[in-house]
Amino acid sequence: MKNSKDYDLLLSERKKIVLRLLTVIIFSYFSFISVIAFNPNFFGQLIANTFYSIGIVFGFLLILLIFIVTLFYVYLANKTLEPLIKNIHKQFK
Amino acid sequence: MQIESSTNTTAIIMFTAFVVLTLMITYWASNKSKTASGFYTAGGNISGLQNGLAISGDFMSAASFLGISGLVFLTGFDGLIYSIGFLVGWPIILLLIAEPLRNLGKYTFADVASFRLKQKPIRTLAALGSLFTVILYLIAQMVGAGKLIELLFGLSYASAVMIVGSLMILYVTFGGMLATTWVQIIKAILLLSGATVIALLVLAQFDFSFNDFFAKAVDSHPKLDAILAPGGLISDPISAISLGLALMFGTAGLPHILMRFFTVKDAVEARKSVVYATGFIGYFYILTFIIGFGAIVLVLNDPQYLQPDGKTLIGNNNMAAIHLSHAVGGDLLLGFISAVAFATILAVVSGLTLAGASAISHDLYSNALGKSVTEEKEMRISKYATVALGLLAIFLGIIFEKQNVAFMVGLAFAIAASTNFPILLLSIYWKNLTTKGAIIGGTAGLITAIILVVIGPVVWVDILKNSSPLFPYKYPALFSMLITFIGIWVFSITDKSKQAQKEKLLFKNQYFRSQTGVGIEKGSSH
Repeated sequence: MKNSKDYDLLLSERKKIVLRLLTVIIFSYFSFISVIAFNPNFFGQLIANTFYSIGIVFGFLLILLIFIVTLFYVYLANKTLEPLIKNIHKQFK
Repeated sequence: MQIESSTNTTAIIMFTAFVVLTLMITYWASNKSKTASGFYTAGGNISGLQNGLAISGDFMSAASFLGISGLVFLTGFDGLIYSIGFLVGWPIILLLIAEPLRNLGKYTFADVASFRLKQKPIRTLAALGSLFTVILYLIAQMVGAGKLIELLFGLSYASAVMIVGSLMILYVTFGGMLATTWVQIIKAILLLSGATVIALLVLAQFDFSFNDFFAKAVDSHPKLDAILAPGGLISDPISAISLGLALMFGTAGLPHILMRFFTVKDAVEARKSVVYATGFIGYFYILTFIIGFGAIVLVLNDPQYLQPDGKTLIGNNNMAAIHLSHAVGGDLLLGFISAVAFATILAVVSGLTLAGASAISHDLYSNALGKSVTEEKEMRISKYATVALGLLAIFLGIIFEKQNVAFMVGLAFAIAASTNFPILLLSIYWKNLTTKGAIIGGTAGLITAIILVVIGPVVWVDILKNSSPLFPYKYPALFSMLITFIGIWVFSITDKSKQAQKEKLLFKNQYFRSQTGVGIEKGSSH
């Protein structure tokens, strides 16, 4: 009963999207944490002639990245996954 | 103390207005909360934006507002490590949990975990995991609330705890999820606007130049430019990874957060709620960072906010944001922020109590005891459970007054990451998960997390006054999560029982529903 081309496509598309975004998040977060654990001095350096430390800049960028990833996922889900899900709903009503 | 008398009037007026408004909402919601779906999920009629605000209201506790800005005030950069950790759980929830959760569950995350597994044992374990998380969190909030209100409003600690407990019982018992949701939405808006005003007033003093702002902060802090660098919060790699795991995956196992996904009509709205929530929470953490640094500049060297020793803040360092509001906005802003802090506590404890009551009535009583229970009976139990949890929270709040309860939130996250999250995740995605595996692995993780915290540096040395810890790390999640996943894996793949075979066969249909939402109940409109 669950054999439908749309369903197979949905699973493969979703897997692709989720794995890529998950990798981005986990990789960047644990890189951030690892620098703090192994090389904290790097984050303490100030960018030339300013009071912005590298750690604070990366920290703010990471907050931004986390939000962008969620936004991007919804964009991709609406574009590629939702049409497939709608078709499946019609098929299995 | 100067601060008490001057805030009293504005703060009390504003707080009373908040209470009157929320009680009116509770009265309005009480008619719609008589059915089980009305009570647990507000009938599934909350929109994505509303739910996103309510989720952020649930998540931005007074502990994170005051605690993180206090940590930034004290250590600078290190406060940011916590903020990012609390935020990074959200994309995990979005990518892995939110949609299948909405597609498979009805009222609690145990609905999902027990979808194809044996109801009784799975629901019992999920309910235990939920109750541990909820009660630890509640104690931390109640103790924080008591101290804050004692300082700001000049009430006694015990009466402050009782006021918070009684109001939360009223909201949840009569207004259910609908009232709780609106309390959280209003509180989220108040907190975000209050924090924005403080941050803007601080930055205005530097013509919105972050560079001048940081320069002045470095100049004002005894640690100088060390506040721009990682300090002592995380000193070794094991602690770093362990804390990182607990924060990243703990959020996805918090029952009061998971429950919020059943209040929207479908997976599309669930998705939207996470984006809104992540945006609001991320923005809020940026504000707390600015507020912490603002307090370094404007509060740290101003004797009117310091105790006679000239080193610590009146109250304690968690009061940095409160003092800063006075420094930039006078009595009026101080009164407003005090009222917001009070409202924040009320909203968070209401969400927690509702999640705990649902675990008791829906998972333990109605399903795990295996009695055939009418909806009416289940509703009555949920209200008794709410009152009982409220009284318990008041009682524990008073008992723990003089204890250091900061570790309890950490332990709640560790349990959520080691028991609730793995069971939920694997029940959705891993075909070979069996009841036996989930029960043994989940229980082992729960026990490990608790034991490692008790014999670790915080409880064993700081609280129980032993000379050295039996377990050297402050954060147990790395170890307890490993035990959970290994336990679940080993006992699932070696489970050759008939029950296990049946459970594996049921996976295909469950997965289909979790991915597509075919077969779910849509929110009722009334």
